[in-house]
Amino acid sequence: MIPMDTLWTWIAAFLTLAIFSFLYKDNPFYKFAEHLFVGVSAAYTLVIVYYNSFVPNLIVPLFREHNYWFIIPGLLGLLFFARFIPNLGYLILFPIAFTIGGYAGLSIGPGLQARLLKQLQGSMLHPADFADPGLLINKLIVLIGILGTMLYFYFSKEHKGVLKVATNIGIWFIMVGFGAAFGYTVMARASLLIGRVQFLLTDWLHLIR
Amino acid sequence: MNEFFVRLSKIDRRYIFLLVAVSVIVPLLFPFHYPTRVTRHTQAVFDIVDQIPPVSNPILISFEYGPSTMPECHPMAYAILRHAFSRRVRVIGITLSADATGLGEQALSDVAREYGREYGKDYVYLGYKPGVSAVMLSIGEDIKKTFPRDFYGQPTSGIPMLTEVHNYSQIPLVIPLTGSQTATSWLIYAGARYHARVADGVTAVMASELYAFLQTKQLSGLLAGLKGAAEYERLVQQAGYTKNEGKATRGMDALSTMHLVIITFIILGNIGFFLSRRSAKKGERP
Repeated sequence: MIPMDTLWTWIAAFLTLAIFSFLYKDNPFYKFAEHLFVGVSAAYTLVIVYYNSFVPNLIVPLFREHNYWFIIPGLLGLLFFARFIPNLGYLILFPIAFTIGGYAGLSIGPGLQARLLKQLQGSMLHPADFADPGLLINKLIVLIGILGTMLYFYFSKEHKGVLKVATNIGIWFIMVGFGAAFGYTVMARASLLIGRVQFLLTDWLHLIR
Repeated sequence: MNEFFVRLSKIDRRYIFLLVAVSVIVPLLFPFHYPTRVTRHTQAVFDIVDQIPPVSNPILISFEYGPSTMPECHPMAYAILRHAFSRRVRVIGITLSADATGLGEQALSDVAREYGREYGKDYVYLGYKPGVSAVMLSIGEDIKKTFPRDFYGQPTSGIPMLTEVHNYSQIPLVIPLTGSQTATSWLIYAGARYHARVADGVTAVMASELYAFLQTKQLSGLLAGLKGAAEYERLVQQAGYTKNEGKATRGMDALSTMHLVIITFIILGNIGFFLSRRSAKKGERP
């Protein structure tokens, strides 16, 4: 009798190799693994959402605790399916309006605070910064980068003369940003490969401990 | 010379895949322990967890990664949990991504078993809740109302560890482990709105975007990708909290070798590009 752990490890190894086989060329093993992944992911998410969200947030309060206020969000949620009924399709606008309105209201204040005000504050020079030359240089670089990048996206005036110099500086900062993002992306993709190879060499082939 | 580069640019890309595979497999089989320097952002996360008094207010770890980002975020989870549990720092685990539900449970129960920590007293797992920003905001009001029951169906009001925990005020650190935009959402909703201290553990793809928030101190620390996980593992090992070398540390040799291979190809590709452009300008056939 094969232990269950071993069986699952072999299945996982087979599926990993089936996905990697695409690097050689498209083939039925790859197709099988791809479709299996999509199906299993969808089913897994559905089950998790049902038991972790639908049951505790609607079924339990409504049918076990008899809290009938929950009928309102329940009905609002059901209206999402109204688009499948041609004559009642417009009813979907109510839950969409509620969701967009709610999220916009919740996001605008803290979003402005975190993404704009605090970031602007961080880019400003403070008298205390002049005491530390290293910090001052860093802050000046940040300030030049912000001004250059913002000016690059200023399209109401032709980029020539002083504006061209400033926007060229902006382009350099943008390029450095792209380069850093690309470097990190390479690292992320490499890490995924390493994770799978570690699994194959450790759990499946037992070549490393 | 030109011809060599032109031929190289036409090479079947499957040879490159093979070379990349070799550059990963060989260092994993025969590690050469390439040194890993700890960045100050990883050190900052470690220091915060290290300064939290044992058996006091819990840290909150939000597991938000699926199998596709697991190689980067899962080692982070293990390293942080080893650090916390070895010092008896309490942990609340939650997840805002359905994919991560099982992975979060696995990490918490594995490390709790390793250090003999007890569910309900030392750690608790509240499971998955959809809504992302709504959940983050709701925790700021009342965590027990946000999660009336834990992952195993127990009412959270009866869990001893949560008796004194109501919202972010009793949570000294929030650590989302994620490969998505929720890393910034935590800063906005928990950080800016409720003044919670947030340190992110993210996939490398997300990292460059978050440096701006480190500069403005909205983010207290950052673990960036596999390297961030390896750095944290190293700190935990150096401090004597574990004897085991973590999975991320073992992967760093492969990562460095693979990077060298990719850098070599980028340099060769660029030389080839400039040489063929020069030939084209001269009117030569490349």
